[in-house]
Amino acid sequence: MKFFLALLGGLSLTVALVAADERKSVFTDITHQAGINYRHTNREFHNPYAKIMAGYTALGAAVAVGDYDNDGFDDLYVTESGEGAKNHLYHNDHNLKFTDVGEAAGVANANVGENASADAMWFDFNNDGLRDLAVIKFGHNQLFQNLGGGKFKDITIASGIDRYANAITAIAFDYDRDGFVDLFVGNYFQAVNLFNPNTPRFFPESFETANNGGGVTLWHNNHNGTFTDVTKKAGLASSGWVLDLGHADADNDGDDDLYAACDFGTDRFFRNNGDGTFTDITESAIGVDTKKGMNVEWGDYDEDGKLDIYVTNITGDYMREGNFLWHNDGNLKFSDVARETATYDTGWGWGAKFFDYDNDGWRDLYVVNGWVSAGSDSYVPDIFDMITKPGIDFADARNWPPMGNKSLSGYEKKRLFHNERGQIFKDEAALHGVDSTRDGRGIGIADLDNDGRLDLFVANANNEPFLYHNVGPTDRHWAQLELVGTKSNRLATGAQVRLTAGGRTFLQFIDGGNSFAGQSMHRLHYGLGNITKIDRAEVRWPSGATEVFTDLPVDRLTRIQEGTSKKQ
Amino acid sequence: MRILAILLAAASAAMAESAAFEAAEKAFSAKDYGTALAQYETAIKAEPDNMRYASQYRMAVLAQAKALHPKEGTPADYDRSIKFFETLTAEHPAAAVAQLNLGFAHVDKMPAAGAITQVITANTALGFFTKSIDARPTWLGYYTRGNSYLFWPKIFNRAQLGVNDLEAAYKMQKTGPNKPYYIRAYISLGDGYWKTDQLDRAKALWKEGLALFPNSAALKDRLAKDGDDLKAVIEDTLDPNKRVDTDLKELWSNP
Repeated sequence: MKFFLALLGGLSLTVALVAADERKSVFTDITHQAGINYRHTNREFHNPYAKIMAGYTALGAAVAVGDYDNDGFDDLYVTESGEGAKNHLYHNDHNLKFTDVGEAAGVANANVGENASADAMWFDFNNDGLRDLAVIKFGHNQLFQNLGGGKFKDITIASGIDRYANAITAIAFDYDRDGFVDLFVGNYFQAVNLFNPNTPRFFPESFETANNGGGVTLWHNNHNGTFTDVTKKAGLASSGWVLDLGHADADNDGDDDLYAACDFGTDRFFRNNGDGTFTDITESAIGVDTKKGMNVEWGDYDEDGKLDIYVTNITGDYMREGNFLWHNDGNLKFSDVARETATYDTGWGWGAKFFDYDNDGWRDLYVVNGWVSAGSDSYVPDIFDMITKPGIDFADARNWPPMGNKSLSGYEKKRLFHNERGQIFKDEAALHGVDSTRDGRGIGIADLDNDGRLDLFVANANNEPFLYHNVGPTDRHWAQLELVGTKSNRLATGAQVRLTAGGRTFLQFIDGGNSFAGQSMHRLHYGLGNITKIDRAEVRWPSGATEVFTDLPVDRLTRIQEGTSKKQ
Repeated sequence: MRILAILLAAASAAMAESAAFEAAEKAFSAKDYGTALAQYETAIKAEPDNMRYASQYRMAVLAQAKALHPKEGTPADYDRSIKFFETLTAEHPAAAVAQLNLGFAHVDKMPAAGAITQVITANTALGFFTKSIDARPTWLGYYTRGNSYLFWPKIFNRAQLGVNDLEAAYKMQKTGPNKPYYIRAYISLGDGYWKTDQLDRAKALWKEGLALFPNSAALKDRLAKDGDDLKAVIEDTLDPNKRVDTDLKELWSNP
């Protein structure tokens, strides 16, 4: 009998292994057939430091997901960086085909003269129900007001945000809960004109404690189409080499806190004081680090009702920083569990985003990576020679070796971490065909065909992007929620929804552009596995109001308006 | 009479040095790090090549760093010992043990530093290990520098330099009676052979070591594993983010 049981055990193991091997790829590459036909190019500079700068400005491939024409299908805005290159607004034609309407819409010309696009973001700054567009640049950021009818108007100067900056990221959320989203911009280099620098000392002064970067700029929304720089007043004056910003309510006190990922030094954690100001609580919240923060993504990966943070850093055989997965321990304290959850090493990490790609009810994690994939020679020895020179002035660009055709952390495989019930993650990128070795930068998650399965857009530097269509199994359930603020900002950015179903409570929130060089869909998507009934959804609006909605359907998108306390 | 005076003075200095060391040890035990460090420094100045004094001094610096700051301390916590040994070696450039401990002081700092500072610090430490060997070639000097080379990523082509040094240490230890710490060379030289794609030589050396040290879990582990499992063991050993044990007690207690 024992032998028989052992045999059965062996048999079931064999079946399980076969089943694992036979699992089909969830994603299929439809980039070209969808009509996405552009190739990002890095900006080349024409100044005495151009050859040195080339290695450090391989940036600017970004994607922003947003339904700009309110036709119920998310569209894509993608950036180029090459001189004179056009950015693209890909209208979703509802059949997984896209048409570039960027020029007709008036949002394509963003790389003219001393401007190189770095990021883009949809947000409704005037609460008119039409998504407006911010294009973030090394140069002059641009603000386009959505006029409806597929037309946009450049209101940069009238809005008051026009100035030279080396901006690289932006998010929008209503930090002071006045019903209008505000604009947070992260700046990499300080505001030295990179196209024509008046000093050679604009590079990071240190690899680990640099404080000569661009810092954060906070533009307060004046409710009349203009913005005011309130950075200092709000307590956000800083000088880090900001690469990404991410917001969420870390302590469930009703207002959103801010995490700034900084290259060449310490990431910063700012607690929202609830009175229009922030306090830097880095030391007590996350501690002082010396790493190269690239990405900020918030999400409750372990379903404990608190929002955690994923930050990518640099991990290679020459430098083993490791990423952060900051587990939210409560009381504004975080513990790094990246090693324990197997999300520590993603190479030279860039954008990362939580999303449930297989609708099993656990939020997975996609991470893109790779710095410069060029020739077979490595740039590492060149950097080593520089950093070991006694007394070298790192801030002086002339001391940095040109990268030429050498590679640095190039040809790295992307990671698709499957969430194993909130305990550990398992890389399934190769299985699902999303382990490309292109130099990834931004990620956009969206349900582009409204079939309840999340698709994936990847913006690559100096290369073509990827649009991966989700063709995974259809036997798992899901729910999507679109929130409309009335007292709160119209897109309900910052709203938290605790959805209870099958004895579990799933916490998600609407973010205003979290993750590096990427903005994902505004709708909330809940994978539900085999759960067929939703018990309730508790919505905490940015205004502070809380409402409970019941009888929500599964396998459908539901629109919820603030103040109605019933589904529409 | 004059000779007697010199002898008395020397004896008096030795007694003072010994008293300083005893006071340092007592203060270290009581976690009075300020007193301990000052007394250790007095003792070391009188005898720059005393391995026990120097090692205990660095262990006190380490304990103080961990007491002052969580985990591994801050980089600045280690600056006192680095500065002290820098001054000492400037005054006594031929003091091989002092040069070695200056290198170790940099190694002690590494876990508290960032990834780039770790590279700079490791490279600096190698320079002092070389000065120690130049001053007086010893088993410890070759073992230390050789083992340090193994931590470097492949791109820097330093593994073979590590093998050369570890082979020199291995040759030295074969010329005399076996000592407990010689097992380290068997492990590290084998790891060096593995890093330079000489698996057969690595296995043969680990086997030879196991015959001399039959209870060694590290050697048994390496001999029991192959492929990625063996790679994981060696990479874990050579993980630059893990603190390297630089306590020389094993050496000074087994002269």
